[in-house]
Amino acid sequence: MTMTTTRISGTINGREVTTEVDNATLLLDLLRDLGLTGAKPSCEMEVCGACAVQLDGLPVSACTTLAIELDGRTVETVEGLAQSADALHPVQRAFLQKSAFQCGFCTPGMIMSAKALLEANPSPSRDDVVHWLEGSICRCTGYESIVEAVLEAAEEMRNG
Amino acid sequence: MQILSDFQLHRPASLDEAVQLRSELGDGAALYAGGTELLLALKMGVLEYEHLIDVKRIPGLNAIEVQGAALRIGATATHRDIETSPLVAEHVPALSKLARHVANVRVRAAGTLAGNLAFGEPHADPAALLVALGATVELLSSGGRRSLPVEQFAVGAYETELGEDELIEAVVVPLPTAQTRATYLKFQVLERPTVGVAAVARDGDAPTVVVGAVDEKPVRIEASDGVEDYVNAARDAVDPVDDLSGSAEYKRHLTGVIVRRALEALAA
Amino acid sequence: MAEPSVSGTSIPRLDGPAKVMGRAKYALDLDIPGAAHGVAVRADRAHARIIGVDASKAEALPGVIAVVTAASVAPIDVRFGHISRDHPALAVDKVRYAGEPVALVVAETRRAAEKAARLVRVTYEDLPAVIDAEDALADGAPLLHEVHPGRTGDEGFHNTGADALEGNLCAANLIEWGDLEAELAAADVVVEGEYRYPMLYGYAMEPYNATALFEEGTLTVYTTAQHPYMVRDDLARMFALPLARVRVVVPYVGGGYGTKSYTKVEPLAALGAYATGRPVRVALSVEEAIFTTRSDGAVIRARSAFKSDGTLLARDFDIVMNSGAYSDNSPLVCAKLAARAFGPYRLNALRVRCRSAFTNTTPASSLRGFGAPQGNLAGELQMDEAADRLGIDARELRLLNVVRPGEEILPGKRGIDADLAADLELLTESLGWGEREGVGFGLAASDAGAHPTSTALVRIHGDGSASCAIGATELGQGSRTVLSQILADGLGLPFEKVSIVQSDTGVVAYERTTGASRTTTLVGRSLLAACDDARRRIRELAAEYAADVQDAPGGVVADGEHLSYGAVIRKWFGSGGEVVGVGAIRRHGEFEKLPPFWEIGASGVAVSVDEETGRVVVEQLTTVGDVGFAINPLLVHGQDLGAATMTLGAALSEELVYDGTTLSNPNVVEYRVPRVSDMPAKIDQILAERRDGIGPFGAKGGGEGAGNTIGAAVAAAVGRLLGRYPRELPLTPERVWRLAQEAAPDRETEAVRG
Repeated sequence: MTMTTTRISGTINGREVTTEVDNATLLLDLLRDLGLTGAKPSCEMEVCGACAVQLDGLPVSACTTLAIELDGRTVETVEGLAQSADALHPVQRAFLQKSAFQCGFCTPGMIMSAKALLEANPSPSRDDVVHWLEGSICRCTGYESIVEAVLEAAEEMRNG
Repeated sequence: MQILSDFQLHRPASLDEAVQLRSELGDGAALYAGGTELLLALKMGVLEYEHLIDVKRIPGLNAIEVQGAALRIGATATHRDIETSPLVAEHVPALSKLARHVANVRVRAAGTLAGNLAFGEPHADPAALLVALGATVELLSSGGRRSLPVEQFAVGAYETELGEDELIEAVVVPLPTAQTRATYLKFQVLERPTVGVAAVARDGDAPTVVVGAVDEKPVRIEASDGVEDYVNAARDAVDPVDDLSGSAEYKRHLTGVIVRRALEALAA
Repeated sequence: MAEPSVSGTSIPRLDGPAKVMGRAKYALDLDIPGAAHGVAVRADRAHARIIGVDASKAEALPGVIAVVTAASVAPIDVRFGHISRDHPALAVDKVRYAGEPVALVVAETRRAAEKAARLVRVTYEDLPAVIDAEDALADGAPLLHEVHPGRTGDEGFHNTGADALEGNLCAANLIEWGDLEAELAAADVVVEGEYRYPMLYGYAMEPYNATALFEEGTLTVYTTAQHPYMVRDDLARMFALPLARVRVVVPYVGGGYGTKSYTKVEPLAALGAYATGRPVRVALSVEEAIFTTRSDGAVIRARSAFKSDGTLLARDFDIVMNSGAYSDNSPLVCAKLAARAFGPYRLNALRVRCRSAFTNTTPASSLRGFGAPQGNLAGELQMDEAADRLGIDARELRLLNVVRPGEEILPGKRGIDADLAADLELLTESLGWGEREGVGFGLAASDAGAHPTSTALVRIHGDGSASCAIGATELGQGSRTVLSQILADGLGLPFEKVSIVQSDTGVVAYERTTGASRTTTLVGRSLLAACDDARRRIRELAAEYAADVQDAPGGVVADGEHLSYGAVIRKWFGSGGEVVGVGAIRRHGEFEKLPPFWEIGASGVAVSVDEETGRVVVEQLTTVGDVGFAINPLLVHGQDLGAATMTLGAALSEELVYDGTTLSNPNVVEYRVPRVSDMPAKIDQILAERRDGIGPFGAKGGGEGAGNTIGAAVAAAVGRLLGRYPRELPLTPERVWRLAQEAAPDRETEAVRG
């Protein structure tokens, strides 16, 4: 008998998740089925970054990552950053302060990508931010406020 | 977009197991490492497999290490592993830089160098530089190991020498001497390079120049001396086609420009 | 009205916390219990008669509920369209473009629906197809619509060039005055050229999606629409339902920019729900979104006639738009393109002939700027070309001819409510015009705001707080925040005491559309009218207890005593209660003259060019936001930079490319929108607030204008560096390289001349 499902267990936003998934299931669909709709499908071809989540700290396109990758690993989504508006992550606060979003559809992915950057490189230059976010598309803002927000968050995290 | 085909997942715990699965499953199975190309193809339905052999979890297969006179990059080392590896930065800085500019950060975090070569996507960065550096791939099957220069491994668009029962164990880059200079320069408009040029000069020898992303596989430029000689030879050597990145005529011109700039960067 | 205290400040966005926390719900995120999934079977060819649809294999697949076709839902007439009801949600008899929906597979899961969709076999008899717009208008061209659709939709659009339409002519507009031939004869310099503006995909990052259900005789649709009321009207026509029995709900929208104007995917979901009795969600991929709507490409032949002293005498434009297989909003774009091509300049004579052509391509519709970027490319580049020919500075040439505040640029229309000359000075100073190479800039004035029909509902509650119910949609532009600011000022309440409900036609007041920069201005005004009405009601209530009642912030002064709204309400009702105010504006009084305001464009760039590769780098971008009054300056800056960035994409990289009858790049891998690395190192955003608009506190529209001049500005900047002006966008590296090649001999000659 052929098995096309796999039992996996991993951590999503600090919570242990054990589930049986179709091997073909994409991480994005698993997350959204769990009610975590922050990460969005958009280009579905790894170029826009709207579905970016952190897998063991690094940003990945959840739309082109198999759900089985969660097994034994840690996934963070935007929902895991703050439980209330009074306790935002510095990146979220900076996005608010700089008005670094409009429609907000790219924002969860943008924030998770930015957070991954600041964890990998706490003191990025402007060029580093631009380079890291090259694969994250925003159609509303013209990016300037996003770059500023990431630099501001970096400073806050260094000082905080 | 979802993956519509069902497949079985195999997670070998060792290379031996992986090789065993390769010989058992043959062309019904795909090797799955970073998945950045494979999963897209599965989603779009251009490829279908009954089995995926997930080699990512084989311990040690992502190691990057110096062995003798070579840098050995394990099959599951990602572009980001290479970008951030102190060993790569020390010995082959041109490869670090190349890795830093592959696709985007999410693809770099998942995609592997070996996978890139195995997929045979012609419009890609790594192959040209690896050819210019004289790199080889180590291939493993139940019949044993063999080593093949990257130049021979790449056959054409999505075509390689990888056998149905084989897998890439490592990409091996001979350590350049201290006097060796190497660079990779690309011109890119869309998601993939339009032209990529690798230039490597060993110990005062005439540079090795390889043009990638234009033809179906990297093109070694045969020229004797002088930048213009290389530029002209490169324009003659490539066989571009019209596509969304530009017409064949433009890409031929651009090849010359990037070859010149790469050689100038090498001399600088 | 008292000076505003909340408006005019960059108050933080109301939607901010939800959006940065990933909690903001978009239509795609809604969990509709029991929803099945619909996936369209799309035509694989551009023009063909449908011989048969064999769904047997698809229907046999586990989980498949139904395969819906136009025939299977008869007698429902599946056509929709607000201007021309010519667009079948599912193809009837034939397909008119590759990617057109032929059937809808409804299944329990998305995966099953996708699998089944690939198993539906459609047999066709191919027909000759036409992709190019000018070919489509030529004699003997394959005919898309055997019976011309005419104007069958909303009567508000019957001014869109409906006369003498035949063949593949979707719409035609003519604007004409003066003696063109005489002016041309009297001219010292006539600049002449053909300009090409690409077909674009707006790429709103949330692709079109809708979930529809029939319940208690009412059709409810949750969707990504910018104009929920327009969608309501289309659906009511399709299903022969009273307007009261169609409810369209729009939660947060992941980008609009005009691409989500009017009806798109809602009929598919509704037909799926109608056929199966289940709630049905249809969520498109980006590729399907590209096969749903794009913007109109245009070929513009233009002539501009000048006296040697620089006086612009006359202009002549002949424009052909590629509008795709169905009308959608192209007739309105056609009218707007005609009105937006010639620019805010004095003219003795003008002729603009604009024709919109049906072709076997994705239907075209609105995209930010609405014809303005297309027309502006020709109109403004000719100003630059003329300046060179005349030996007059390009800024001076514009200053010489630009209309001054109050002057008309279209006879009978509202005079220009802006100081364009002052805007131009601000713009060129910021760009260092005259002091550096590679600068391009331009002016634009768009007849904006669409039809001035807007209503608003304001409720003042028993505790003195207030809420409003508004039909304008929050697309990211910040309408939720801006309208709340206006509401607070309209009632003299602090921002914390007001709230807003938007975009649920079952609940909120009627709003015609959300587009054309109308929300702050027109909705703002109907909202202020509703505030006035509510305050009047409050005064009436208070007058039952007091002899002298005067308005006061947050309440009234009754016989010398300040009473809050809440106190008045509680006193009158005795227990509970609230006061409702309604506001409406229509084309009457100060709104009689159209447009209600002019959307001003005054943006420019400085660029550098790598002539060997042809790559253009934008070094600086300047926007002058002539918005009258910025209710929320930070949001205005955001809109201006966003608009300018979008057109930078059209200027440098974006273009839908057809190879024969096949679209070569229906994805954002091969269709390149601006990335963060494309942004200029220097961005200068200037606000020009002269309180000269019709909106609240002197506000005018914003959010489109900043992009309207960017295409021409980039082309002019590149042209100045190369010595030859490009006339086609986008300026891909190859095009720029070729232009540099062509220009090289001229430049060598000039160098020799010294």
